[in-house]
Amino acid sequence: MDMINPTVVDLSRFQFALTALYHFMFVPLTLGLTFMLAAMETVYVVTGRKIYKDMVLFWGKLFGINFALGVATGITMEFEFGTNWSMYSRFFGDMFGTPLAIEGLMAFFMESTFVGLMFFGWDRLSKQAHLAVTYLVALGSNLSALWILIANAGMNVPHGAHFDPDTMRLQFDSFVKLIFSPDAQAKFVHTSVAGYVSAALLVMGVSAFYLLRGQHRQFAARSFRMAALFGIISTVAVITLGDVLGREDYMEQPTKIAAIEGLWHTSKPPYEPWILAALPDDAKQENHFEIGVPFVLTPLITHDFNTPIRGMHELEDAAAPRIESGIAAVSALRRYQETHQQADLDAFKAHEADLGFGFLATRHAPNQDVTAIPADALQSVVEQTKPDILPNVFVTFWSFRIMVFLALYFFALFAISAYLSLKNKLERNKLILKACMWSIPLPILATEFGWITAEAGRQPWTVFNTLPTFLSASTHSTSYMVFSLAGFALLYSIFIAAELYLMFKFARLGPEAHDAPHSDDAYAAHCAVVGTPHASGH
Amino acid sequence: MQLLRLAGLAAVLVVSLLFAVFVGDQGPWYFAWVIGTIMIILISGAGAILLDAQQDGKIGSSSDQEV
Amino acid sequence: MELYALLKLIWAALLCVLLIGLGLMVGMDMGVGTLLRFVGRNDGERRTALNIIGPHWDGNQVWFILGGGAIFAAFPTLYATSFSVFYVVMILLLFSMILRPVAFEYRSKADSHLWRASWDWVFLVSGFLPMFIYGAAFGNILHGVGYHFGWTGQYYQDSSFFSYLLNPFAILCGLMSVALSVYQGGVMLMLRAENPIHDRARRYALRGGLTAAVLFIIGGFFITRMQGFVFTAPVDPAMPASPMHGQHVAMVAGGWLHNYAAHPVLWLLPLLGLASMVGGTLAARMNKVILAWWIGLGSWIGTIGTVAAAMFPFFMPSTTTPDQSLTIWNSSASAYGLTCMLVVALIFVPIILCYTSWCYYVMRGKVHTADIVNDSHSY
Repeated sequence: MDMINPTVVDLSRFQFALTALYHFMFVPLTLGLTFMLAAMETVYVVTGRKIYKDMVLFWGKLFGINFALGVATGITMEFEFGTNWSMYSRFFGDMFGTPLAIEGLMAFFMESTFVGLMFFGWDRLSKQAHLAVTYLVALGSNLSALWILIANAGMNVPHGAHFDPDTMRLQFDSFVKLIFSPDAQAKFVHTSVAGYVSAALLVMGVSAFYLLRGQHRQFAARSFRMAALFGIISTVAVITLGDVLGREDYMEQPTKIAAIEGLWHTSKPPYEPWILAALPDDAKQENHFEIGVPFVLTPLITHDFNTPIRGMHELEDAAAPRIESGIAAVSALRRYQETHQQADLDAFKAHEADLGFGFLATRHAPNQDVTAIPADALQSVVEQTKPDILPNVFVTFWSFRIMVFLALYFFALFAISAYLSLKNKLERNKLILKACMWSIPLPILATEFGWITAEAGRQPWTVFNTLPTFLSASTHSTSYMVFSLAGFALLYSIFIAAELYLMFKFARLGPEAHDAPHSDDAYAAHCAVVGTPHASGH
Repeated sequence: MQLLRLAGLAAVLVVSLLFAVFVGDQGPWYFAWVIGTIMIILISGAGAILLDAQQDGKIGSSSDQEV
Repeated sequence: MELYALLKLIWAALLCVLLIGLGLMVGMDMGVGTLLRFVGRNDGERRTALNIIGPHWDGNQVWFILGGGAIFAAFPTLYATSFSVFYVVMILLLFSMILRPVAFEYRSKADSHLWRASWDWVFLVSGFLPMFIYGAAFGNILHGVGYHFGWTGQYYQDSSFFSYLLNPFAILCGLMSVALSVYQGGVMLMLRAENPIHDRARRYALRGGLTAAVLFIIGGFFITRMQGFVFTAPVDPAMPASPMHGQHVAMVAGGWLHNYAAHPVLWLLPLLGLASMVGGTLAARMNKVILAWWIGLGSWIGTIGTVAAAMFPFFMPSTTTPDQSLTIWNSSASAYGLTCMLVVALIFVPIILCYTSWCYYVMRGKVHTADIVNDSHSY
């Protein structure tokens, strides 16, 4: 058996993380901005006031710049499962490929077709038809996210599939279990509304920039108001769903939740503190210092006061018999591949549930061959494999905390902004406006760290408890990986430079850039011409 | 024609009710997303219309009113 | 025939349809990209050319995404193996594919001459390269690829990527695919643009159509002398989809003609291809533009159909371990997965066809240079 090249596995992981995180810089904005555009256009259609159409056009332009990169970098993701995770794609593709293909058929096609009409169809469609098109774009982009997150939930909680020894892969067996799994549901809503938050803060921040300069005041005030209200509700939803997801992890992925909370030993309810900050040490398997709030952890995760949460040491010990059983499963499976005898199949079936833990022992088995471990080496292989079941605690612990602290900050910011906007006291509070402006990039940070929490916390598996990450990667040479990584680094740097240049350019130009100039006075004049009651007042 | 439109509306209503019952049962969070998104859009839209109303109410009061 | 085997067949047929759709629609946009610097002599003309496909390129690109998604879902082993075996080529294809959406969206958003000129080059590269690789991939799988599977199902590569790039037959197929895309792109420009773009586009469309026809004939002679792959023992089409066992395959010179010998009616496919390429060129010459556009579809059906008929039921044969060659029977998804996908496709494909045609209907008509330059929303 060919040896696993750890450098190639690490480079593949690095490349996937790089491209996925990069893709995920643009996706949340797309998810949220499309629905914000739909909201603005709804107001335009209902009230008939042109300023709302200007809003759709201007924010639509920023959306377009962002959308292009979201689409482009999404193609990378679809390719990479095949180019870099061959074993994973073959092993899990039967189930994993289905939601991806449905995403294309149901969502991406819709989004991409109608986005053209949304930009180009203003003069060719009635107001109502264009509004419907905008809604279809928003629905399409969020349905896209739905199917991707269903696929991702399948990796985290592989319900709806079973291992088949004849095809050596997971066979898909329940569509309903796949799409209605609680993990998929919570993940989708959490991610989608996180996108709403990102978009709301972008709109709010750029509007704050205009208000600070006293430019486009009518335009900015309306955009700000809509974004603040959009944002505050979304932030509440994102936090609620975050809590739901935490509970899901507690039930389905105990190693992830233990790593998130830096919980090395099983918790002692009800006193167990929720750790605010700590320095987890993965090598020594302990926290160097801890600052915690007592009595919070148990109700936070279990929603009651007396259920203990299993700690990482206890989870490791519980994994030992599974690893031993898994080694037996892999050995029987290999014999069955050669003999196709019922006896070997039965031997495999007896240990089937632990197959993944057998694969996990590969790196510690002599010659990386789990099927030929001498009896006297078995215990040492099991002992060496035990710590492998844990994700990197430092990364998981801190990415989770950064995400949570940022979400709480957004909650405060949106609450204050919405209040000030409703009271028409915004322009007096320069500090809040400045905070809004400088907070524009923070939701991107929060969503990225959320993604890291979910995916780093799933390690060492690509398919949880079934297929280890190091087995999933394609067997490339290091030079292939260096070639592709260098290319991605170059291209993606150019892209981000171009995107930021255009974003800043159009944000600075402001809403007037694409139309006949209309300052606030011109807007009033325009209102006078069309005869809305808004005519005077400035 | 009127009757046809009415029947169409009734059909839409029945379908959305069935949808609500089914999704609320199988996928409570999906359902929450549908309802929640509609609500978010309506509330933020209402906020903007309120701003229009607030300003229209102040017609002539001041030339550089606060926004 | 067993249901599972039938499902595999249906999905193989659908995959062919997707590959044809991809060649036609994405190829058309790519052709416009390739031609951009040649049909448009100044910025206004180039923007006109871009805006002709502007409202549709994004939707067309989904053919490509969908092709990838369908291979992943319906033939996961094929997806996993082919994308990895062709790694370097696939990454190049990927780079050019991700440059395109960005080029569309960003090119005309800044005024600098250098900015726009750079993106125009990006259009050339990202139009030419993907179509070349698309064709070259067909050339390579006809030749067979070096790989084998370990007992866990992990693939191992047996030959370097140079052999896939520097292979005369693959280069020929690549160039033919580019020629077809130039033809289709040129016809699309004729359909929507006015002079001088119209006449220049016509010149390139004619060249593209004729080149494709010539290369198609030469490629045919290559195939007759090539090592094809044939089964040496009967295969159960409903076998569990695993490449590790169940097939016995040999390499035979001229093996790709066995299907044609068994079913002479298949010769209609290459005939259709050739007739379309020649007929389309004539139609474009006589300015029957809409007719020429639809005949372009015939060229793609003929080309992909010819390859599919020759290779059936092989997808990607292995030269180093022919028994593990990927076929329709051993690389598919499970019966359950294929059924789910089929139901979804039956529901959504008609819907997609409806709204795509509606979009074309809404955006119909000639695109005028003056309108483009004055509209800041255009590409």
